Amino acid sequence: MPDIDVNAPGTTVLWMGNEGIARGALEAGVGFASAYPGTPSSEILPAIAEVAKRMGIYAEWAVNEMVAMESATAASLAGIRSIAIMKQNGVNVVSDFLANLVMRGIGKGLVLICADDPGPHNSSNEQDTRPVAKWLDIPLLEPGDFQEAKDMTKWLFDLAEEINTICMLRTVGKIAHTRGNIKLGELPVVEHKAHFAASYGFRGAGPHAELHKKLAKAQEKFESSPFNLYIGPDKAELLIIACGASWLYSQEAVRLMNLQDKVGLLKMGTIYPLPEKFMEKHLKKASKVLFVEEVHPFVEQGVMELVGTLPPSGPHPVFYGKRSGHIPAYGDLDPSVVIKAINSIMGLNYQTRDAEYDKKVKALAQSYVTARSGTLCPGCPHKASHWAIHRALQLTGHEGFGTSDIGCYGGGGVGSFGITKTHFCMGGGIGVANGFGKLGRFGFDQPVVAFCGDSTFYHAAIPGLIDAVYNGSNVLMVIFDNSATSMTGFQPHPGTGRNAMGEPAATVSIEAVCKAIGAQVVICDPFELKKTTDTLVDMIENKTGVRVVIMDRECELIRARREEPPYRVYVDPEKCLGEDCGCDMFCNRVFLCTGLTWNRQTGKAEIDDVICAGCGVCVDVCPHGAIIKEPYTAKGKEKVAVKGKEKLKEVAAR
Amino acid sequence: MERRGAATAVEVKASKELFKEIINAGLCSLCGGCSGSCPYLVSYKGRVILMDNCNLADGQCHEYCWRTYSDLDALNQKVFGVPYGESEMGVFKEVFLARSKDPDIRRRSQDGGTVTTLLTVALAEKMIDAVVETKLDADKRPHGFLARSKKEILECAGASYEPSPVLETLNHLPKDSTDKLGFVGVPCQVSCLRKMQLNPPRNRVNVDNVKLVIGLFCGWTLAQGFHEFMKEHFDLSNAIKFDVPHSPFHTYDVYTESGKQSVELEDIRSYINTACSYCFDMTAEFADISVGSGRTAFKGWNTVVVRNKTGAKLVEKAKAKGALETQAIPEESITNLKRASLGKKKRTLENLIALSGSKKDLGYLDVSQDFITRFLS
Repeated sequence: MPDIDVNAPGTTVLWMGNEGIARGALEAGVGFASAYPGTPSSEILPAIAEVAKRMGIYAEWAVNEMVAMESATAASLAGIRSIAIMKQNGVNVVSDFLANLVMRGIGKGLVLICADDPGPHNSSNEQDTRPVAKWLDIPLLEPGDFQEAKDMTKWLFDLAEEINTICMLRTVGKIAHTRGNIKLGELPVVEHKAHFAASYGFRGAGPHAELHKKLAKAQEKFESSPFNLYIGPDKAELLIIACGASWLYSQEAVRLMNLQDKVGLLKMGTIYPLPEKFMEKHLKKASKVLFVEEVHPFVEQGVMELVGTLPPSGPHPVFYGKRSGHIPAYGDLDPSVVIKAINSIMGLNYQTRDAEYDKKVKALAQSYVTARSGTLCPGCPHKASHWAIHRALQLTGHEGFGTSDIGCYGGGGVGSFGITKTHFCMGGGIGVANGFGKLGRFGFDQPVVAFCGDSTFYHAAIPGLIDAVYNGSNVLMVIFDNSATSMTGFQPHPGTGRNAMGEPAATVSIEAVCKAIGAQVVICDPFELKKTTDTLVDMIENKTGVRVVIMDRECELIRARREEPPYRVYVDPEKCLGEDCGCDMFCNRVFLCTGLTWNRQTGKAEIDDVICAGCGVCVDVCPHGAIIKEPYTAKGKEKVAVKGKEKLKEVAAR
Repeated sequence: MERRGAATAVEVKASKELFKEIINAGLCSLCGGCSGSCPYLVSYKGRVILMDNCNLADGQCHEYCWRTYSDLDALNQKVFGVPYGESEMGVFKEVFLARSKDPDIRRRSQDGGTVTTLLTVALAEKMIDAVVETKLDADKRPHGFLARSKKEILECAGASYEPSPVLETLNHLPKDSTDKLGFVGVPCQVSCLRKMQLNPPRNRVNVDNVKLVIGLFCGWTLAQGFHEFMKEHFDLSNAIKFDVPHSPFHTYDVYTESGKQSVELEDIRSYINTACSYCFDMTAEFADISVGSGRTAFKGWNTVVVRNKTGAKLVEKAKAKGALETQAIPEESITNLKRASLGKKKRTLENLIALSGSKKDLGYLDVSQDFITRFLS
């Protein structure tokens, strides 16, 4: 991660969109940054935290997005420019607070950054947060490239202060996570001083009316914003209106198709409220308009609304986009989607790529990839936990199942032996399980295991757990405590003893919280497969009420950065049964650790020495004792690997 | 003799069919023959569980299940050197009464302590190195156990009326073990073991290491929630013996140090494993030696059926060592035993015919039509 406080105005750097956003905040003189990790937004706060001390600012991971927003608001009210950062799901968590905040006003500039995940590539849902801005009346910008990611962020602080309301930047994964040129601006020197002048609060009658005046003011500024621009002929055959990453795709499509003199490109950066006069002027450029934007037809609907209010001066343009089916309203886009739409609208037949060649490329790419289904990292403690939960549920019968929330451990059926049958939001594991646990009175007798992560526990699980105790639910909650917010990049949380700026921090014990709430709590080491399974079976068969099992094992990726693996693991091909009955590739087909591979020549399992993390859990999984672990020594590593390979050669020779 | 088996003998099936045709169809006697044979099948608290989805089309679990087709002639040939005779209680050399001479063994045993005595003699004489048999856990639930000493054999003395997945223990033994084994089981377990010996399973301990098979008479087992019933009604932690005494009594008794608690047999009939009503064998016809109670007339003694040379030799050894005493059994008692065994066969034929709806389809059981006509008349 680059040092985003590099003081070199005018220099062009190759940075991620997220780093650009962080820099934009610094250039705006931000003093307070709060966030909850969520891909694709996760790099913004660490970039700020990295330079926070040097810049005399404060950066933190909050326990959830609502707390982040509330903290940032307080700082704004106390006269410090503040930023709250999150992904699309976080905006839902914050929405109640926002809906009240917009009715009041702010102190110093307050900006909400939201990174959406069209696809989705790293999310449990695909959601466009732009309608939230409209629904809550929050001025909204969307960057079309990396430079804008920085510049828009910076400008939003000015705008927020000028119109006295929170402003929002929506970006998407492909701007947030890819790199592009960013020309740096000046870094202000700000000495932050916090004081709350108690003039804030309910402003008497008509706060909503006030808000609409603020929006009108924002709209007026948007009319002349440099973030909106037109490229193309004065009279075009087709006008493309694009925003966000779609702007890049549209430019590429038009360039590839060599249609620069026929197709006009209108790039929108200020998307709520839309600058009406600006739009009206450009809508006259063509009789056909194609909207290119990711997920929701947000600008598309905005323009249609606008056209409906224009005085009748002849037929309006024909609109193409999500409504017409030319651009999908789900998934992320790319230039080929835009080309396909242009082909269809303009009656062209531009081939993005020869079909035969396309096939060959795909086949070649696939040949480099090991064929396996989705699973967890090698050595992941969640894999061992899933194994134990799966076995416990199978043993105890009654069609037991898991309800999950968001984290590596969730993943629906993937890598979790199909245990989890519901997969909703943060805290949704215990929340839904808590509901099932109240259905005993209606004959419900299935064991339910709520999946929850450590970071998720602090984020959203506590109310569900309290409700379960209070309302007498019968539920087993498993907390996968791997001492990090692993899925988003190992960010610290209240259980880890350090904060976002790398300083020591107080720890909040999950065990103590659960006990204080009134749950029965047991701590397990998931690597002890049998003991953990037995504990879970006991919890399911012999205990009732609210039970919590904490799976206490550090994320393997963190451990591996610090120390050598505990074991060197290999397969004894003499003992491995291979595909024969009695095993049926059990380790490779069922346990599915990526460190286990299959030698098709010998028909036996092997350990991939490069991938294996040396956790040794598979040793207890193999029913025939064919997987062997030895304490890891740098010397032993070679010896064991040779031993395994020699044995394999022998078997292959037979 | 007309047999119907050949067509079904070549079936290639696996766990999916095992569950569909046997376990979920109420035909599983919970012998443990399938469980432990692979990582997928596990016996747990009176259930067979498929832990994960097994992909195999051809599985040994289905092949060795006693409730799938078995070639009875080949089985009988293997154990006794003659085809299956379709007699009342299988091949045997002699029937007599026996009991242990050791009062300590008798005190700790169900009846006369004959099985415990024979096993300890077999162990002492190095006929076997260990015994796969049934032991009760702290919860008084039966499970398979590998007994390696007289002390451990004694710990297994006494009966349980719940099914024990004893064959799971055999399946779990290390593949390369060369221990000579004894095996004690009820008829379905003995039959399944013999089926394995006829065509030894791959990737498991050599089943021919089993050198001695002692069968136990069995009428039925109590399953399907019976253990939970017991937990509710008896102080199981102090239980030392379970018994269903023979006529004229009609009770299920649980003995503790402080005395006996009983329930009426009628009250627990609903717990009888439905699979047992499809069992054709009361006396463990494929064992080397079968042992039951002396019934009411000879309380404290065992009825012993010696079926082959292995069984006869062991009994001789035990007598010669002064470990076992025997006495002749009245002809009337043998007649009664045969009648009881035949009665079970007859009921099973009726039940199997009711199940399939045809006299020509007896499911797993391969007996001649002539036999069916003879027995049902």
